[in-house]
Amino acid sequence: MTDERKEGEERRLSRRELIETTAAALLATPLLRTVPGMGRPAGAAPRFFTVAEYRLVDELTEMVIPADQVSGGARAAGVATYLDARLAESLERDWQAAWRAGLAAVDELARSVAGKPFMEVTPPQRLAVLTRMAAHESSPQTPAERFFQELKRQTVRVYYTSQIGIHDDQQYKGNVYQSGEYSGYDAK
Amino acid sequence: MRPPPIQDVDLSRTYDAVIVGSGAAGGMAAHVLTSKGMQVLLLEAGKKLPVEQELRSMEWPYQHPRRGDLPPGSHALSFNEYTIRRPPYARDTAFQHVYSYVEGWGGADYTKNIVVDEKDHPYTGTPYAWVRARCLGGKTNIWGRLALRLSDFDFKAKSHDGYGEDWPLSYADLEPYYDKVDLYLGISGVKENLPHLPDSLFQRPTKLTYGEMRLRERLGAMGRVVTPYRAGVTTDGLKHNKYRSKCFGRGACRRRPGGCDIHAAFDSPTGLIYPAMDTGHLTLRTNAIAREVLVDTNTGKARGVAFLDSQTGSSYEAKAKVVILAASTLESARLMLLSRSRQHPDGIGNSSGHVGHNFCEHLMGPSVTGLVKELVGKPHTLDDGRPGGFYIPRFRNLKERQPGFVRGYGFEGNSGHAMFPPGALDTPGFGAAFKKTVRDHAGAFIDIGAFGEVLARYENYVDLDPEVKDRWGIPVLRFHYQFGENERKMAEDMVATAREMFQAAGIEEVGVSREVLTPGWSIHELGTARMGSDPKTSVLNQFQQSHDVSNLLVVDGSSHVSASCQNPTWTIMALAWRSCDHLADELRKGNL
Repeated sequence: MTDERKEGEERRLSRRELIETTAAALLATPLLRTVPGMGRPAGAAPRFFTVAEYRLVDELTEMVIPADQVSGGARAAGVATYLDARLAESLERDWQAAWRAGLAAVDELARSVAGKPFMEVTPPQRLAVLTRMAAHESSPQTPAERFFQELKRQTVRVYYTSQIGIHDDQQYKGNVYQSGEYSGYDAK
Repeated sequence: MRPPPIQDVDLSRTYDAVIVGSGAAGGMAAHVLTSKGMQVLLLEAGKKLPVEQELRSMEWPYQHPRRGDLPPGSHALSFNEYTIRRPPYARDTAFQHVYSYVEGWGGADYTKNIVVDEKDHPYTGTPYAWVRARCLGGKTNIWGRLALRLSDFDFKAKSHDGYGEDWPLSYADLEPYYDKVDLYLGISGVKENLPHLPDSLFQRPTKLTYGEMRLRERLGAMGRVVTPYRAGVTTDGLKHNKYRSKCFGRGACRRRPGGCDIHAAFDSPTGLIYPAMDTGHLTLRTNAIAREVLVDTNTGKARGVAFLDSQTGSSYEAKAKVVILAASTLESARLMLLSRSRQHPDGIGNSSGHVGHNFCEHLMGPSVTGLVKELVGKPHTLDDGRPGGFYIPRFRNLKERQPGFVRGYGFEGNSGHAMFPPGALDTPGFGAAFKKTVRDHAGAFIDIGAFGEVLARYENYVDLDPEVKDRWGIPVLRFHYQFGENERKMAEDMVATAREMFQAAGIEEVGVSREVLTPGWSIHELGTARMGSDPKTSVLNQFQQSHDVSNLLVVDGSSHVSASCQNPTWTIMALAWRSCDHLADELRKGNL
């Protein structure tokens, strides 16, 4: 079957095929969302976190995945806003309690390291606190270390499913109708 | 292309055949029998879903309010829950909906209406990860698409190593039907001329990544093969099917529990059922939960199927000359056990006592992840625009005899960039260095995971729980199932050979998993109504016809005599085609 195939003709995505498949996709998704669903308007109050907690989460997530020359970081990707919305609607009390307690543990650690809550200490001191939290990542011992695992896992999941994560940082090339030569190597 | 309209079922008439179940087996039976002009009624326990609207294959994660996650109140069972607890897993749960582990993968919200809610569908006994899809097309809506043939290393395995039973047919008997399935449904792959993994009639193959090409070259020197995923996907298109598009390598295949909204990947509704409806000979009744195979009290033959409407709970009877079970390996066995009568006191077709027994499947878990160092830091490429990665066919117990275990295993593998960066969740640290490491390494990982043959054993079985019932008051299955010594030895060998292959290819090993996953994980359950020549030790003959009841066929995976290590869907369909061909001949000759 593949032997007789006329390469160029067969592989090029014809205009007719493109229209047919695109039309089918549109028909199938009458409620296609164009707006990222679970945000909140800029400046609106957080729904799960207190204002102080929200500022802390926003800072911590940005420290986990910061902006660099290639792409925006967790703050630009709206990670804290997304987490706030998921926690607000969640029915899992344990998960919500873990976040409340974890953020308190971060401030507790900051007080023991630098004498003040996390957001009131200097950037180098913040880095020192987060470094302490990340010290035993694979086998966390303290409440702050255990919270780091959760903070990081959620930040990674949310950031790399965001527009910035997928398109700017990863330069993801897929989720397109390929035409012409498909990518990769022929097994010969 | 819109699906054809559903005709009203006429329960006053006697259909030529009634089929229970609309997955790969039931869809194929409907296709073959309607193509011969027979009047067929197809009963499906679940709904007919607007599946394209469910799947929305090209929706970006950030276009979904929860990035594809399930809504609050829904829960997917975890490995720990399957291991520590015993079924029914949804008992005493605070969650509104509980799903099997496949809904724990990313993008589960797109498939939550395809799989069953464990609360409505309990089962009991030993731990088992039983994944079910009650909707038109069943599990073919989300299957993994690996479409492999079996060979006489499988059909004649007892002759080869002395264990178990041979199948009552050989590769030569089934080869023409594998060909028919290939041509009717489309399959992608590369010819390798392996006696233990026969080639199909392939359409355009998908491509390999740089790391996979290296593995292919190096393993070739060891006499092992890396071949592009043999996908049950039409890559060149099918002129005879207006419901399916060819594959455009969009790459949604790897990031969700499954599904293809342009139907390039085979699914039973667009591949088999809608074309069968277009013949005018197929009547479809959805929300129809088969309760019992009805028996003619004079002859002991099947006369139809009793079913409940899943929405109203009302009972109905459908009459037919032939009853064809295709409800899945475990549900067909359950239905046979439920169908007790004066003539068939232990369940219809069960004079041998083998219904529910010889239950087998594929072992999963052992896997290795490696790093192709030359790819670290390279520009990102499009690597996942294909329905699957690659396959390493079985190499154990073919020519030489392996110490410690019989039978074999193959590996499924994947590598390269994906929408969610591989390695991101396992990369230690935080900050700019972490972010750069994730970016630089995302395309360099390669992983392989084994699928091994679990031996068919009489003592691995399901029966009916004497007390527990499902939401509709029907007794549920009770599992008596565990892996044995052969599986443990095989799992150790899987880890050893996986590591040895990466080493040979100069791929740095970065992760090894030795743990065997909960039984059921492969979603390849088989064997509960096996074929055989001897009615005392088997349930069906080589045409999947009951030894006891000549007008009862069971055409799904329950008929398989052994699990092989090759994925079963293509074999299920080839067997169903062959049996239905034979059935139509027998009916024409008046032999039923």
